[in-house]
Amino acid sequence: MNIVVFAKRVAATQEEELRITGDGKAVDLSKIPFKMNDWDNYAVEEAVKIVEAKGGTVTAITIGNQDSDEILRRAIAMGAKDGFLMETVEVSDDPAVRVEAISNLLNKENIPFDAVFTGVQAEDDQFAATGGILAGKLGIPYASMVIGIDAVEEGHFIVRRELEGGLQERIKVKIPCVLSIQSGINEPRYVSIMGIRKASKVERKTFKFNDYRAGQEAMIELVRWSYPEKKGGAKILTGEMDGICRELLGILKEKGVYQ
Amino acid sequence: MYGENIKRVMTCIQCGKCTGSCPESGKTPFNIRMIIRKNQFQSDIEEYIPWYCTSCGACTIRCPRDVKPSEVVIGIRSMFVEEGQIPTQIQKALENTFVQKNPWGRARTKRGDWSEKLDFSVPHVSETLSKRLLFTCCIQAYDPRCMVIPQNIAKIMNSCDIEFGILGEEEACCGNEIRRIGEGGLFEELLEENKAMFKEYGVQEIVTLSPHCMNALKKEYEGSDIKVVHYTEVIAGLINEGRLKYKKPYPRKVIYHDPCFLGKQNGIFDEPREILGAIDGLTLLEFTRSREVSLCCEGGGGRMFFEVETQYRRNSEVRVEEALSKGAEVIATACPFCVMTLEEKAVEKGLQVKELSEILMEVI
Amino acid sequence: MSYALIVSEVRRGQFDERNLDSIGFANLAGKAAYLLVPQGDYAIDKGSVDLIIDTGLTESAFLNPLVMVDAITKVIDTAGMPDLIVFTHSSSGVELATYTAGRKALPIITDVSGYDKNEAIFYKSYYSDKVFGQFRKAKEGPVIVTVRSGSFREFVSDRGKAADTKALEGISGSVEGREFIEYVEEAKTGVDITKAEFLLSLGRGIGNKDEIPVYEELAGILKATISGSRPVIDKQWLPKERQVGTSGKTVKPKVYLAMGISGAFQHIAGMKDSDCIIAVNKDPDAPIFQYAHYGIIGDANKVRDKLKDILKG
Repeated sequence: MNIVVFAKRVAATQEEELRITGDGKAVDLSKIPFKMNDWDNYAVEEAVKIVEAKGGTVTAITIGNQDSDEILRRAIAMGAKDGFLMETVEVSDDPAVRVEAISNLLNKENIPFDAVFTGVQAEDDQFAATGGILAGKLGIPYASMVIGIDAVEEGHFIVRRELEGGLQERIKVKIPCVLSIQSGINEPRYVSIMGIRKASKVERKTFKFNDYRAGQEAMIELVRWSYPEKKGGAKILTGEMDGICRELLGILKEKGVYQ
Repeated sequence: MYGENIKRVMTCIQCGKCTGSCPESGKTPFNIRMIIRKNQFQSDIEEYIPWYCTSCGACTIRCPRDVKPSEVVIGIRSMFVEEGQIPTQIQKALENTFVQKNPWGRARTKRGDWSEKLDFSVPHVSETLSKRLLFTCCIQAYDPRCMVIPQNIAKIMNSCDIEFGILGEEEACCGNEIRRIGEGGLFEELLEENKAMFKEYGVQEIVTLSPHCMNALKKEYEGSDIKVVHYTEVIAGLINEGRLKYKKPYPRKVIYHDPCFLGKQNGIFDEPREILGAIDGLTLLEFTRSREVSLCCEGGGGRMFFEVETQYRRNSEVRVEEALSKGAEVIATACPFCVMTLEEKAVEKGLQVKELSEILMEVI
Repeated sequence: MSYALIVSEVRRGQFDERNLDSIGFANLAGKAAYLLVPQGDYAIDKGSVDLIIDTGLTESAFLNPLVMVDAITKVIDTAGMPDLIVFTHSSSGVELATYTAGRKALPIITDVSGYDKNEAIFYKSYYSDKVFGQFRKAKEGPVIVTVRSGSFREFVSDRGKAADTKALEGISGSVEGREFIEYVEEAKTGVDITKAEFLLSLGRGIGNKDEIPVYEELAGILKATISGSRPVIDKQWLPKERQVGTSGKTVKPKVYLAMGISGAFQHIAGMKDSDCIIAVNKDPDAPIFQYAHYGIIGDANKVRDKLKDILKG
């Protein structure tokens, strides 16, 4: 079983207030640390676990500038055999452009795979589109929100997809296929700094993104950035106890946790 | 597999002084003498066992054969770290430190925010003449409860015309806990990053606020010849020189808790007591277990991020009860971890926990 | 005529409320709303759309992107290319939408939560809603969108007449590549507070252990899961598996209702990313209010009792 995993380097913005600069043209990420996209971490772990049990190899692919090499080192430290960087200075906002290059890389370089794993979405653009577009483009089966791989059998996977409200769908997906992996499917192992240093000794290949883009232009464009409507701090509910409690129940209803 | 520790471990005579001084042995499954014994035979140690250790250092200090049991524990932990088999909360603390340079995962860009609430501006250390660095520490940079400590010390130093600066978002975690968790590689990265900053800005002296930071910066940043002091040493000096004068009395019974990393591991017992003793009206009480044999609060060695599964009586409770029985109204200490662990139990019993600088702010 | 093809979502015999956002979005964009549906005995407000296209597919086949792309192709073949293909931004909506985008080589924008008709600008969340990217099509032609739940339902309007239903013939519900086996209810082994959508979290401020059963009663009525802060676990009022915080579990529920929790740093670290935090505490200076979206300054037990009174009303 050979599995290709896409992993993305994203800004760790969870704790930050982001600043839009250049008259709406950019988001300032200059001082923010970067890391592997959380969902991709689960995808790499799942691929490595399968390969550890069934044999085969995991190949990690990332798109970005040279800094994205850290994602490959991490994936290799987790158990991937190879790491490929599709180097580009500016990553397109349109996932279709990224997928075009990825699928051309898989074809042109004859990268063998039984399955492609991606994280369900990236923490930065939350597009959740790479896996689906790629499967559609390659014309192979797809399943997203995969929260459990129950069996890896001859010619197919049995997987569980997360729907909503605790409901899941169990399906059989024919190999080769693309699976988008949901967070929580496993417990990604800890990768020590020593492990990453060892992984640095494994050679990673670099491909020029634009060589594989095949002239694919973006079909959508991000014209400007804006802030969400201001929320402000805690709204303190005031008044009589009865009124306060009714207001509280109203909030619970609005949030959809209580009918 | 136990590397360099093994020669020392082989000299162990199983006397049990380590277990006798351990704040975890007896009440938990953690038996430090047994760990050393198993180590001698290279037998496996269950993976949940090493995480009980609080890195208080008592065993290493007392060992008559210099086996350094607490270092052996770090060695065992590092083995689990390399295998990736560590408790989730510990894993999280390490991953947070890797990305944001603090175990809590708070934004690195906000590390200097505590200083913005002062009514004077704190310069970057590069802009000072003295090149004296106030090293904030992670928990004191982010936790509102502990943030007052750097603020207080900054105010006092400022009022005494002691020039100092900070690194702000360029400061990384000191790595003291990280090394004790067994992640030596990450500790090295933090150390290199901080040392590079010290060098770039020509830092001459570091005033630390947390005893944990002091310990790492002073004893474990190899090749650094920068003078590292704890703030209590600075304040005690100011009092002796008459540069810091108390203006108000503090008519309360205060019992002082020695933090392990300040006291038994670094020998700073007297300065905090001198600072408290010079306050008018303050009655200074002592725990039965004080100074070298002070009872660990259980906040060290990664235990701030991780709790062992079994429920048992916390040492902080033992501490609070003794303080009460001695008639104390306030427990004073000089470590943010001790403040956090002790306070949790103290508030339940109507006792106050104060970091030394908080008492100082009430009397100057 | 220009139209929006709306791929509906039906789950276990229920026409999902999220579909209203898809219909509302089509209205806002000024397109006729063609609703693609599976077979079944569920209620639809037929006055809210312009055409209903019945695929005859089962609900589970309707979850299969390999099947659905054929159905969509067939619609395009008969009714022409739509201006918009609209899906819900849900687990299956996104799956269908992205796969369709790949197969049909169409542009896609997911998680759309706003639309500016004059400029034809789609608002898409980035970085968990910290900023929004304003997208537009790079060239004329159809676009696929998935719309965020709750964003557009206000634009649903009544056409004054029930829409016609047209049957879409000849769509096979089974394909070789992907087969539905069964629905599975998530295994409930013990309590996993990290999976709960609504946590009622208790702190020291509730006073003593005897209060716990009363909170459990309230949680039962509200269908909330009980969790707690470290002091509560320490005192063994609640089991360890219920602990939220650095040394317990990190949770991100839709609603985190914190009662009698002051908000120690280590606790906050375990729950600050919850979608909505509501704090009840009698100390107005309690740190938890700095992180909460809504606050009630008052005794947790009194608020609890009042809530119970109202709910039992």
